[in-house]
Amino acid sequence: MEAQLKPAPSEKELARIPGAEPRARIDPWWWLVVAVIALTVILITTKSDPFWRILLFVRDGIAITIFITTASFVLILIVGMFGGLGRLAQNRFIHGISSLYVELVRGVPLLVQLIWWYFAFPVVIQQSGRWLNIPAMANYQANAIFTAIAGLVFCYGAYMTEIYRAGIQSIPKGQVEAARSLGMTYFQAMRYVVLPQAVRVILPPVGNEFIALLKDSSLVSVVAVADLTRRGREFMAAHFNPIEVWTMVALLYLVMTLFSARIVSWMEKKTRFER
Amino acid sequence: MSTTEPMIHIENVHKHFGRVHALRGVSLDVQKGEVVVIVGPSGSGKSTLLRCINRLEEYDSGRIVVDGIPLDNAQNINAVRREIGIVFQSFNLFAHLTAIGNLMLAQRVVRKRPKEEAQKIALELLTKVGIPEKAWAYPIQLSGGQQQRVAIARALAMNPKIMLFDEPTSALDPEMIKEVLDVMLTLASEGMTMVVVSHEMGFARAAADRMIFMDEGLIIEEATPERLFTSPHHERTKLFLGKVLHM
Repeated sequence: MEAQLKPAPSEKELARIPGAEPRARIDPWWWLVVAVIALTVILITTKSDPFWRILLFVRDGIAITIFITTASFVLILIVGMFGGLGRLAQNRFIHGISSLYVELVRGVPLLVQLIWWYFAFPVVIQQSGRWLNIPAMANYQANAIFTAIAGLVFCYGAYMTEIYRAGIQSIPKGQVEAARSLGMTYFQAMRYVVLPQAVRVILPPVGNEFIALLKDSSLVSVVAVADLTRRGREFMAAHFNPIEVWTMVALLYLVMTLFSARIVSWMEKKTRFER
Repeated sequence: MSTTEPMIHIENVHKHFGRVHALRGVSLDVQKGEVVVIVGPSGSGKSTLLRCINRLEEYDSGRIVVDGIPLDNAQNINAVRREIGIVFQSFNLFAHLTAIGNLMLAQRVVRKRPKEEAQKIALELLTKVGIPEKAWAYPIQLSGGQQQRVAIARALAMNPKIMLFDEPTSALDPEMIKEVLDVMLTLASEGMTMVVVSHEMGFARAAADRMIFMDEGLIIEEATPERLFTSPHHERTKLFLGKVLHM
């Protein structure tokens, strides 16, 4: 057979096809990231008191914010996957549990959920520990970071469940039928055929969730976690200079979210596939 | 197992879709190496019957035994599915995998073949269906006829004892039908047990040992293609064949 795969069209050929012009080498939105970073650097260098001092002070808060966001996000991806499969399960019990979870979580503000996990949940554990006579439970003390991550995962896991469900449902039924007809089990069909395709579909909304989570992680400052927002508040309480502190905090969040958004769209390009 | 035991034994199968009675007591035996072509108007239950054979569709009552294994529990169903290849009207190639990836996946996951062996078998089969040069192409880069040939090769990679074809050429442009039918004719001549739902009368005439005419969930008539084309016994068969053969 002489027919071979066609070589990729050259840039010149592509330029003649509308909509297929060669992409700019650097995504122009990267300039926004650069601009925000430049503004931050200028503020720090030209007016190092208080901006440089603020940055030094909130440094560990940035680390905590990044840690809480990424740790929660990994867990959210796992919870969402099982939730999504549960929402689509034939088994009525599993379907009911995962639907109830989504409905309950969606209806309660995240701030209220976090406060509940931090202040109410430990009391529930302590009292049932006393009632059941289990000392370990009766003496339970809330760990702020752990509670914050658990609260974020519980809430965002529900949103992620819906994203996974939509992603899985977007894959034509024939794909599962073909996989099952070749002798694959339900889980093999999901693992090797449906999820790899669904992941590409859900990447944009998943990226949005990551950015939303990064911002919402500021809410954990109310449950005694020393994240970026809380450290900013502490600095302000000591020196009372709200304009500088909150401008700096806002800029730092902006750098992180803009950077994440660029990473997400870069991943979208990388994983784009033909169908 | 006695030698006279049929490859596929279907006994009084009923199937409802809501209030629609899609199969109303169908019985059919297919022998080893036999090629059976099922025809009938749309909604006659022929695709449903085919899909019941490997339990992509559950049936309400009756009995189906494939190669001595009754389709009555999940374990048996997966065992039977490994022995049956099915080719769909809409190809259903795995969109995220190349042609060779499509052929290799189930070999690796279900048959647990090592990668090299799976790849070798995949390339042999792609050669057999006439498109080895498309091994690394994604489904979207293939024409309908090529996609359907990859789908046939994918089913063959599992070494099935039976091949089911659910209107394999209905979604194809006319000039691509022949390349798919040629592959099917080759399979038939090699002694594959085949059940084909199709209105390709040329294929039926050339390859079918037996033709089945279905209407309203029942088998109305079965005969050799010769007899069915020249002297159908039932009025409904005559009417239907008249329409599809443009007589």
